[in-house]
Amino acid sequence: MISQTEIALTRECVQFALSEGADAVRITLTKSTEDLIATLDGEVDRVSRCADRSMSIAIFADGRFGSFSINKLDRESLRDFIRRSIGTVRMLAPDDKRVLPSPARYCREAVSGREMEIYDEAYAGIDAGARKEKALAASAFSKGSGIEGVRLISEEGEYSDSEYDVYLIDSQGLECRHSETSFDYGVEVTLQDEQGNKYSDYWWTASPRLADFDPSGCARTAIGRAAAQIGARPAESGSYKMVVSANVASRLVTPLLSALNGYSIQQGNSFLVDSLGKSVFSEGLSIVDEPWRKGEAGSKLFDSEGVRTSPAPVISEGCVKQYFINTYMAGKLGKEPTVEDAIRPRVCGWPRPGLDTQALMEICGEGILVTDFNGGNCNMTTGDFSYGISGMLFKDGRSVRPVNGMLVTGNFLTLWKNLIAAGEDYRPCATKLIPSLAFDKVDFSG
Amino acid sequence: MNHDGSDIFGVTLPQMREIVAEGLKGGDWCDLYFEQTVYNDLLLRDGIVASGGFHLDYGCGIRVLNGEKTGYAYSESTDMDSLRSAAKAATAISGHPGSISAGGIRPEAPELYCMKHKWSDADKKALCSWLEKLEAAIRQKEARTRKVIAMLSFSESEVMMYNSLDELSSDSRPLGSVTLTAIFGDKGRTEQRSVSRSFRCGSEMLDEQLISTLAEEAVRNLDDSFAARRPKGGRMPVVMAAGASGILLHEAMGHAFEADFNRKGQSVFCDRMGQRICRKGINIIDDATIPGNRGALRFDDEGVPGQKTYMVQDGVLTSYLHDRISASWYGVRPTGNGRRESFRYNPIPRMRTTYMESGSDGSLDDLIASVRKGIYVDKFANGEVRIGEGDFTFYVKNGYLIENGRLTMPVKDINIIGNGPQALADIEAVASDLKIDDGTWTCGKEQSVAVSCGIPSVLVKNLTVGGE
Repeated sequence: MISQTEIALTRECVQFALSEGADAVRITLTKSTEDLIATLDGEVDRVSRCADRSMSIAIFADGRFGSFSINKLDRESLRDFIRRSIGTVRMLAPDDKRVLPSPARYCREAVSGREMEIYDEAYAGIDAGARKEKALAASAFSKGSGIEGVRLISEEGEYSDSEYDVYLIDSQGLECRHSETSFDYGVEVTLQDEQGNKYSDYWWTASPRLADFDPSGCARTAIGRAAAQIGARPAESGSYKMVVSANVASRLVTPLLSALNGYSIQQGNSFLVDSLGKSVFSEGLSIVDEPWRKGEAGSKLFDSEGVRTSPAPVISEGCVKQYFINTYMAGKLGKEPTVEDAIRPRVCGWPRPGLDTQALMEICGEGILVTDFNGGNCNMTTGDFSYGISGMLFKDGRSVRPVNGMLVTGNFLTLWKNLIAAGEDYRPCATKLIPSLAFDKVDFSG
Repeated sequence: MNHDGSDIFGVTLPQMREIVAEGLKGGDWCDLYFEQTVYNDLLLRDGIVASGGFHLDYGCGIRVLNGEKTGYAYSESTDMDSLRSAAKAATAISGHPGSISAGGIRPEAPELYCMKHKWSDADKKALCSWLEKLEAAIRQKEARTRKVIAMLSFSESEVMMYNSLDELSSDSRPLGSVTLTAIFGDKGRTEQRSVSRSFRCGSEMLDEQLISTLAEEAVRNLDDSFAARRPKGGRMPVVMAAGASGILLHEAMGHAFEADFNRKGQSVFCDRMGQRICRKGINIIDDATIPGNRGALRFDDEGVPGQKTYMVQDGVLTSYLHDRISASWYGVRPTGNGRRESFRYNPIPRMRTTYMESGSDGSLDDLIASVRKGIYVDKFANGEVRIGEGDFTFYVKNGYLIENGRLTMPVKDINIIGNGPQALADIEAVASDLKIDDGTWTCGKEQSVAVSCGIPSVLVKNLTVGGE
C-alpha cells in the first residue's frame, strides 16, 4: 500500500513541477501487488508475484499539455524526469482547452481510500500455502469430464489475489485515494470426444472480499459449457431471434458506451453523434451508472481527473441521457463536462424484473442462444458489426442442438431497436452489470 | 549500453551470477531479464500536435524453472536486495536445486534493426512537423476529409539477459509506429479509414515517401467504401489479397503451431507433426530475421538468437514454435519464439513475422478469374482463434464481390469464419506475389507483443462470410 512517505514525495513532486515552470500539474501514484498460482491438470504449473508502482504526471505549461509516466520513484530520478517532461511539453502546440477541472467538481469524500468498502483486510492474512490450497482445491481435473465418451484432456486454472492503491493529487488542491482488493479464479478446459474433436471453454469468478469468493464450481461449469458444444454445427443462414447469455452480453453493450464517449463524439466517429436527448433505441433499453455500490467490484468515488462520480441515467427508455465528456472534451465541444466514462453501468430488466436466460428463451419461443462470441468487430462510425458466435439453437424455449461456425451481422442502432427483453441475471462479480438480452430479427450466417 | 548492460542496470556479471545462484535453490533453471524501455508518443488531432509524452519503464524479471513448471517474480529496482528478494519469490516453484554451468557463453546475432538516427536524438519539433505534413497530404488528396488523427509512437528498449548456462546477451530494440485515422464525409455519410506502418528502425523512417504512401493508402478507392454494402452471407470461395491477409496464417494456423498449446494437448495440431496438413508446395514460416521488420528480433526474450523457422514445408507440418520450456519437453532446439510483453511477464511461445512463401498459381487476377461467385478481401482488421476447436474469425474492412471472375459490388464490415486445419486444406491456389504487411500488428495472447504477417494472394475454396 502507498506509504505516507510516498504521499509526501508525490506532494513534493507537484511543488517541484510548479517551481520548474509548470502552470498546473496532476499526479497519479499507483501501487499494486498480485500473487498468482496457475495450475495445469490439477498440479501447480506457475507461481508468480508482481509488485508494481508507477507515477503518472499530467503537466500543463505555457498553454500546452503532456502526459508522462515513470516507475523509478527515487527523488533524483523524479526531479530529472519532471524537468525533461516540462521541456517536452513546451515543444508541443498550445491548446487552450487543456485545463484542470473546476475544483467545484472535485471528489472530496475519497479520503482513506476505503470508502467503497472493497478493500478486504483479510488480504494481508493470505500466505503462499493458502494460495496453493485454493488453486488446487478449485481444480476438477482428477474427476475427469464426468461424461461418458468424453475425455478432459486439459485444465488450466489461475488463482490470484491482489491489492491496488491509487493516490491522486493536483495543484488546485485535489487529493483522492482509492484502495481495493480482488480475489480471482479463472479456468479453461479442453474436452475431446470419441471422434477426436476438441471443445474448449472457460469460466471465472471474482470478488473484492475473500469471504465472498467461491471458485469451487468454476471448473465444473467450464466443463459443462464445453460439453454443451459437442456435435455443434452451423444452423441454416437466416433471420432469427437472438438470446445472448449474461456472461458475454457486454460485447453488445460496450460499443454503445464507447459511442457515448466525448472523444468519439467530438471526432465524429461515433454512431451516436447528435443523439443526446433523442430516443434512438427500443423503449426497453435503460442503462444506469451506479458507481457507489458499496462492497461491489468496480465501485469508485472519482474518475481519473478526480471528478466526483454519481449515480446517473445513461440511457432511459431508449433515450440517450448522457455523453461522457471530460474537461478537455467539454472545452472542445462547448458542453458541460461530466465524468469521463461510465464507472459501473447496469442494464435494467425489461419488460418485467427477474428474467434470466431461460425466461428469455421462453419469451422468444425459437431462435439462437449465443453463449460465446468468437472475434469480430464494430465500425464505430456507422454502428455496423459482425461477430462470430457459438451457442444453441432453441425451439419452444428449449435447447435443441449446439451451433458454432456462425456469424451475426447487423447494425447496433437497428439491433437495439429490436430489443425484445432484458433480464436481471447479470453476474455480480463483473464491473459492468449486463444481463441476458433478447433481440428480434438478427441476421445469422453459417 | 555497454556490452553487458551494467551501465544502465547497475549490476555486474558476478552479481548476476549471485542472483541466479539464489534462484537455482528452487529449480533447475534460472534466468534474468533486465529491461529499460522509454516509450514516446505524439498525437495530432484537430490539426495540431497538442498532446504527447514519454514513459519510462525499468525493471528485472527473474524466472526459476522446475522442469516445465515456472516460478516468476520481478523487481522495479535493480539493487541487489530487491533482486535477491525477487529471486527468492521465484523459488516458490520449489524444485530440486540446480547449478550454474561454467559456460561463459556470449551468443552472437546479426544486426537487424537498420537504425540510422536514434529516436532519442530526434528533434521533437521536426517530428510534430512531419505529422502536420501527413495531415496536409491527406487533405490535399481528398476534399471530403473531415478529421485526421495521427499518432506517432516510438520506443527504445535496452534489454540484457543472463541465465544459468552462464549465457549473457543484450539487445537494443527500436520500434517506430505511425497510425493514421481519417474520417471522411460525403452526402451525409461518414467513412473511417485507418492505415499504419511500423518498423524496427530509427527516425529515418519518417520521410516524404512514407507520407505519400500513407496518404495514398488512406484515400484509395474511397468512393467504393461509400458505396460498399453488406453481401448476402453464407459459405463461398474467398480470394485474399497479398499482405495483410497474412492474419489468416497468424490466427488460423500460427497460434495452433505454438508449442505450449501442443505440449498441453490443446491444439488441433498436437498429434500431427510430420503429417501433411495442406497441399504440396505450401511453405509457412515464422521469421525473426527480416531486417527492420516489426517482428524482427536479434534475440528472443530468453536470449536465443533470432531465426527463421519453417512450420510447414511442402505442405507437411515440420516444426512448432518453441520457447526453452517446450523445446526441452519435445527434445528439440529452441526456435527463438520465447517472447514477453515486458519484464513483468514470463516468456511464452509467440509468433514474430508469420508468412507463406509465394506459390506458382499465377497472379491475383488469375485467382479472381477462377471464381464464379465469392468474395475478394482487400483489407483485414483484427482476428481471433479458439485453439481447441481451431475455429477462427477475422474482420474484413474492405473487399468486393466476385461474380463470374470479375470484381463487382464493394463490401465492408463483415466477418469471415472458418476452421484452421480445414482452411489450410482448402487453399486451392497460391499466387506468386508474397507481400509482408508493415502495419502495427499486435498479438494479444495473454500479453501484447509486436508481430507482423504476410502472404501471397490465395484462394480458399470455402469459408463462411457474414452478411444479410
